[in-house]
Formats: sequence, structure tokens, C-alpha cells
Amino acid sequence: MRPQVEFLHRLAWRFTGSAADAEDLVQDVLLKLYPRRAELAGIEQLRPWLAKVLYRQYVDFARRQARSPLAARAAGAPEEGDPLDAVAAPDDGPEGRAERGEWRERILAALGRLNPEQRAVVVMHDVEGYSLEELEPILEAPLGTLKSRLHRARQRLRAELGMEPFSAVERVKR
Amino acid sequence: MDCRSFALQVDDWLDGRLEAAHGRSMQTHVDSCSACRRGYGDAGALRSALRTLSAPALPPGYAGRVLANATAAPPRGRQAVLGMALAASFVLGLGVAAILFALRPEPMQTLVLTARQPENVRLMFNAAKALPDATLSLTLPENVEIVGYGNRRELTWTTDLREGGNVLRLPLVVRGATGGELVARVSSGASSRTFRLKIEVRRADGSGALPAPRASV
Repeated sequence: MRPQVEFLHRLAWRFTGSAADAEDLVQDVLLKLYPRRAELAGIEQLRPWLAKVLYRQYVDFARRQARSPLAARAAGAPEEGDPLDAVAAPDDGPEGRAERGEWRERILAALGRLNPEQRAVVVMHDVEGYSLEELEPILEAPLGTLKSRLHRARQRLRAELGMEPFSAVERVKR
Repeated sequence: MDCRSFALQVDDWLDGRLEAAHGRSMQTHVDSCSACRRGYGDAGALRSALRTLSAPALPPGYAGRVLANATAAPPRGRQAVLGMALAASFVLGLGVAAILFALRPEPMQTLVLTARQPENVRLMFNAAKALPDATLSLTLPENVEIVGYGNRRELTWTTDLREGGNVLRLPLVVRGATGGELVARVSSGASSRTFRLKIEVRRADGSGALPAPRASV
């Protein structure tokens, strides 16, 4: 499992947006998978399978977090390193760095306001680059559902980021 | 093509899911409609930003730590091993119903925290089977606070516990020179189980407590 920990951690961080939550989520998944390690050895496409397990765990995790009184206060808790520190980009001066950092923060904040299902489809499709067909078994939803979920999620992200709406219909919704 | 049709199909177009002829209709519309052109530009910019959204590197020692925790946890379907201290977290065993009180009491574990330094402590509850709508209560000693809760000493809420490990992250801070006992109580139906964790305080200069593994951060 060791070679897969980095993959799981990356996805978990993208799903949760928090280093501490990502660590908890990966820990949950490994606890679940460790007794099944013999079964894992026989799985041909391990990453999509792991992504599916992680996604299920994330949806469950998000629901339980929403019910926990500690979740709302966790923002005041110490984090294990600022995820934004890891931004790698060509150096274009302090102004460029500040602008890029602010844009990135706004995108992360907007992602955080999506529901877990919407966030997962954006992360897996738009960030990680999986096709919708590949995501059908991972996110356990038919193609049509994934397409409309992705459309709504992008619409919501654009609205959260104050972007130009496409039509009168979308303008009214905002 | 009108703006509404364009808006409905723009994601398919961006994702390359439209046939060439259809794509040309979209292009014709976007060339002639300034509002849709701006929206299309924004959508493309968002898409590019998402594509390059980097994730933080794996924290040093992280893989070893989570794998060690996973391998140290008791196997599912068996009565949980209690009182197992891990390098990064504390494991609390939890049975259900009939076996709740059959479990033997375990020696209390000790957690060492540095005074006035908030730290994330992970408590892991191992449940022999899923416990929906379990009630979880925490009682804190006098000088220990949950970050953001001030002087509140007791906290109770309902949660679903899965079969196997359930991790609760507690952001704790010690305000005084002495620790005390943190009590976690889990109730499900008519059964309940209480876990106790001794908290010792180490002063910021490193003195004041026996050397012991630090709680996870």
C-alpha cells in the first residue's frame, strides 16, 4: 500500500481542502483496507478502485463532519503546514505571487462550498483529468447524472468566483 | 443558436464532447455574442486554473505513520484490543450491546501536551460493528480546552460510528500547569462505554512531565 499513500493523500486533500482532514480520511481508508490487503494484490486497476473507496469514505466523512460540533470549530485548530505553501510556479515577482495566491485561495474556498458529490466530480474530472466515462464506476453514478452534476458544480463555482454568467437563466439563478 | 442553448452545451464543448459541426455552431454564436464570449472566457480560465491546482507534498514520515496505525489497529469482527497507544493517535476499543461490559478495563493511557500550545489529538474508537446514532460525550479537566470552546468542559453530540476505526480529531490546548483526565463516553441504545485519557503538561521549555510520545499534530 505504501506506493499508493501519496495518491490517496493527494485525492483526500483535494476532496477535503484540509491537511488534517486529508490525513484522517486516508487513515480511515487504510484502516478499512488493511484487513483486505490480500484482495488488493489481485486488483488489476488499483487506483480507480482506491479512488472509489476513498470517495465513499469521503462522502461518509463529510456527512459525519457536518453532524459533529467540532467540525465548525476546526478552523481555529492548528494545521499541519499551509497547503498554499506548496504552490509551484515560475517566479513573476511579489505582485504576481500575491495575485496567484489569492486566486488559488478563492478557488479552494469556492470548491469548499460545493457539496461532496459536486466537489468530487470537479476534482476527479477537472483537476485529476479522469473522463466522465471513467468516473461512472468510481463515483457510482450514470453518465447523465455525472454530466449534470459537473455542469451545476461549474456553474456554482463560476457564481462563487463572481464570473460572467452565460445566459439570462443563469443570471436569474445568481 | 441562442444564449440558452449555448449555456447548456458549453461544458460539453469545453470538454470536447461535441461533434465538429455542433462545435462550429457554438463558435459562430460565441463570435457574435459578447456576453457568452465573456462567460466562455471565464469558464476556460477556471478550467485552466483547476487543471493546474497543485496539492501539497506528502508530509515527512506521513506514509509510515498512517500505515503503522492501520497495521496496529485490531482486526475487524473481533473484540477490540483496548488501550493500544500509537505514535500518532490513541486507540479506544468499543464493543457493542452484549459485549460492551464484557471487555476488560485497560490501563489508562497518558497524553503529554505542551502548555499553551494547541495540538491536534486523534482519538480512535474501534467499534466491533456499526453503531448508528451513537452519543459521544467528552468531559475535559479544568485546565484543558477544546480550541474554540473556551471554558466549556462538556460536549455531547450524536454521530454514526462505523465498524472498525473511527477517528475523532480534537484540537486541545492546556491553559495551566496541570493536566487531568479527559473522559470520552460512547453510548448506543442502553449500553455505554467510558474511556479515560490522562493528560500531563510539559512546559514550553520542555520540562514538567515525563518524556512520552507526543500527541499527533
